[in-house]
Amino acid sequence: MHEAPKTLSEYRKNIEEALNDEYLRKTLDTFAVAYRANREVVFQEVDEKALIRQIADAKDDAAKHMDELYEQFKAEAEKRGVIVHRAATATEANEIIAKIARENGCKRIVKSKSMTAEETQLNVRLEQDGLIVDETDLGEWIIQLRHEGPSHMVMPAIHLNRYQVADDFEKETGEKQDTDVQKLVKVARVQLRRKFINADMGISGANFCVAETGAIATVTNEGNARMVTTLPRVHVALAGLDKLIPTLDVAMTALQVLPRNATAQRLTSYVTWMCGASPCAASPTGKKIMHVVMLDNGRSAIAKDPLFSQIFRCVRCGACANVCPVFRMVGGHKMGYIYIGAIGLILTYFFHGRENAKALCQNCIGCESCKNVCAGGIDLPRLIREIRARLTDEVGPNPMGSMMTVAMKNRHVFHTLLKFAKFAQLPFTGGAQFQRHLPAFFLGEHGYKALPAIASKAFRDRFPAIKPNLPAPRFRVALFSGCAQDFVYPEELEACVKLLAAHNVEVDFPMEQTCCGLPLDTMGQRKTAVDVAEQNVKAFDAGRYDAIVTLCTSCASFLKHNYPQLLADGGKAHTASAFAAKVMDFSSFVHDVLGLKPSDFNNSGEKVTYHASCHLCRGLGVHEAPRNLIADAATYVPCNEEEVCCGFGGTYSVKFPEISARLLDKKLKNIEETGATRVVVDCPGCIMQLRGGVEKKGLKVKVSHMSELLAENMKKK
Amino acid sequence: MSQATPEVLENFKAKAGLCGATVVEAASLSEVAQYVVDVCANKTPCEILADEPGVAVGPEKGPNGMPTRAQRIIAAPCVDEKVFAELKKLAEEKGFACLDGGLRKHLSGIDVGLSFAKCGVAASGTCLVAGTDEDARLAGMISEINVVVLNKSAIYPDLPSVCGILRDLQKDGQISYNTFISGPSRTADIERVPAVGVHGPLELHIILLED
Repeated sequence: MHEAPKTLSEYRKNIEEALNDEYLRKTLDTFAVAYRANREVVFQEVDEKALIRQIADAKDDAAKHMDELYEQFKAEAEKRGVIVHRAATATEANEIIAKIARENGCKRIVKSKSMTAEETQLNVRLEQDGLIVDETDLGEWIIQLRHEGPSHMVMPAIHLNRYQVADDFEKETGEKQDTDVQKLVKVARVQLRRKFINADMGISGANFCVAETGAIATVTNEGNARMVTTLPRVHVALAGLDKLIPTLDVAMTALQVLPRNATAQRLTSYVTWMCGASPCAASPTGKKIMHVVMLDNGRSAIAKDPLFSQIFRCVRCGACANVCPVFRMVGGHKMGYIYIGAIGLILTYFFHGRENAKALCQNCIGCESCKNVCAGGIDLPRLIREIRARLTDEVGPNPMGSMMTVAMKNRHVFHTLLKFAKFAQLPFTGGAQFQRHLPAFFLGEHGYKALPAIASKAFRDRFPAIKPNLPAPRFRVALFSGCAQDFVYPEELEACVKLLAAHNVEVDFPMEQTCCGLPLDTMGQRKTAVDVAEQNVKAFDAGRYDAIVTLCTSCASFLKHNYPQLLADGGKAHTASAFAAKVMDFSSFVHDVLGLKPSDFNNSGEKVTYHASCHLCRGLGVHEAPRNLIADAATYVPCNEEEVCCGFGGTYSVKFPEISARLLDKKLKNIEETGATRVVVDCPGCIMQLRGGVEKKGLKVKVSHMSELLAENMKKK
Repeated sequence: MSQATPEVLENFKAKAGLCGATVVEAASLSEVAQYVVDVCANKTPCEILADEPGVAVGPEKGPNGMPTRAQRIIAAPCVDEKVFAELKKLAEEKGFACLDGGLRKHLSGIDVGLSFAKCGVAASGTCLVAGTDEDARLAGMISEINVVVLNKSAIYPDLPSVCGILRDLQKDGQISYNTFISGPSRTADIERVPAVGVHGPLELHIILLED
């Protein structure tokens, strides 16, 4: 059992270990790539989005009726000879199970995998009573032999290699073991069969507890759950109250997604339906002694939370870890406590307390990969930000967050600071585009990329001179610049204005706009995030424009999806929604609305590749427009893992520079392999990251915003 | 009744194959009996994975270094009496034991277990196998090869279309234990390398029966 880190610096030390584990690196890399491809294949046969919607709706409804479902489940199960318990806390659940063992004179227990039993640390309690507890899921058995916790909810031993396993098996059996995986698997077959036969109690989890019939179901591949629930005379199933569902139909829906999401299987080898105490020749009564322990441990309270009740849509498929770029870098032991991955960061806060959660929940880069695949459509990145906001209220803000609030609460203060920075940086930039001469002690772990310099003249000061003046514009748009482009990369916005004006689009730049608030919200500074959101909505009179165009996809996604939520309470929901509805990313505007086509460009023939910003491809679901546009203006060369995060993540790269650097390395390697001379991006955050890396490594690749590529190659009218 | 269209039937075969099952067809239960005995005859003798009082041990060690059965065992609990008699006769001609119960005496492993499916699901190559009777359940768990007979008319396109069948097995206070089986017992817990037979059957054979 590992400890959860209590501070960010302790956490970063732990992470360093994982980053230096070459085996882990390689395994998780191979897995991430294979999983993505395999998952896509098995989802082609079903309507993924519709199924996810159905699961979300059904489980939301189940969470609302948790108590009724429990009563119905209990009545139906007891009709069929099962004893059903409700445990308020983890300790209570463990005590109930210890008592069942005692009363039935059980000595040897076999277990099939149960995350809920991990949550309650059940084995520790049972072993206190001198009971022999053997895990029978192969992965769980391996980590039990090593006294470790699972590093993945579905593949608990994914962090280990065959040699480590062979060593553990050698210690367990006292015999030399072959390192061939097929042979190692059979060691479990041989060793565990005896344990199944000798056990007098079996403990399983449950993936579903069906209220209409009192049945429970387990979803497994190895078949150990069937053994555990068949051979011993006593069977105890431990499950969270969130596993209650009203009908079998809900399970049939969930089963079309759970295995596809977990391991890219259409269905696991075994889905076992246990409805009542079935015949058991080992029991004195001829019937299985069967108990179901339903664990609350805070669940019934969370079920009443209007926002967080959605965590009970989770079916424990582990997909949020499978696609997470951070998990891919550090593995499950460093990305969770007992529950791991994105959902793990959230569940840790609720089930294992804020002390265990406060450092962990910082480790989300916000790329939305998890939200994109979640079987229940849970908005995981938002919930993680929400927890940071709660932690700020509960345990106080972190220093960086407080500093940001002081700086950004007032636009004039913030923008004056930014403008002052351009003078302060002079000794370090020598007037160049990068801060070349920062003292090393200041950079520390941030030395993996060159930091950009603040522009000599912000976009807001350049705009009056370039504002188009069109007699009969086709469209009127307002630009939302975001801080990075306003103050660091104004030339990207200038290129945009040039292109739009050439296509008869009127452009406005409301001067009262400020930071979109995403960096604040990411740092748990909720109140200031709401403040700046209000300022921005007020600054833009949305009704006057056909679109509010932004060249920063992080801003775009935040403005569009989060403003209506952030401003829901202040009675400003309506204006916020009207504002959000007008927000559009640059590529979509010029591709879908302006309808730019190849004939609008002098195709340069340059080999240009693409990096898909997280907030564009997943946040806004935009995939085709940017690729078509590149192909219109140049020769588009696809890049491997084009839609994987570059490692920027805003303040994430400041909090976890080591992880950010590794993600950047991988991205740059993929870009280099395309042989392209330029990579085009739709977001200044990614540009900052990529340019910093390219500069540091001295690569011969130009990093441009889409607006720059298009403006350079547009046909003069 | 004839539920399965040719497309559904083909899809079932394809998907069952993808999850590692061997799919064959049979025109009658006699053919099934012959198939089971042939499968048993063509396999290596079952490894004895735990102590079993009075068991006769063969000359060869198994692939995992465990002793093997001198007499092979076929288990066919909950099978129609006539069919069982036919199977037993064929098995005994080959010198195999053929059991219709008492499998707890042989938890260390048997050669072949014969099961009958309630229905099949084409989308995932799945069989719904009844196991309320403990021996019927054990036959599919402790055998090295599990042979499942599935009527062609009982193959449905997807999981929602068999929900009613599962509900019928659970309704009105009924006690039941049923399993959706798709392929043999498998794991990828070590280095994500796929491997079969970690606990249950090493092979799953599905016989599609004309009816």
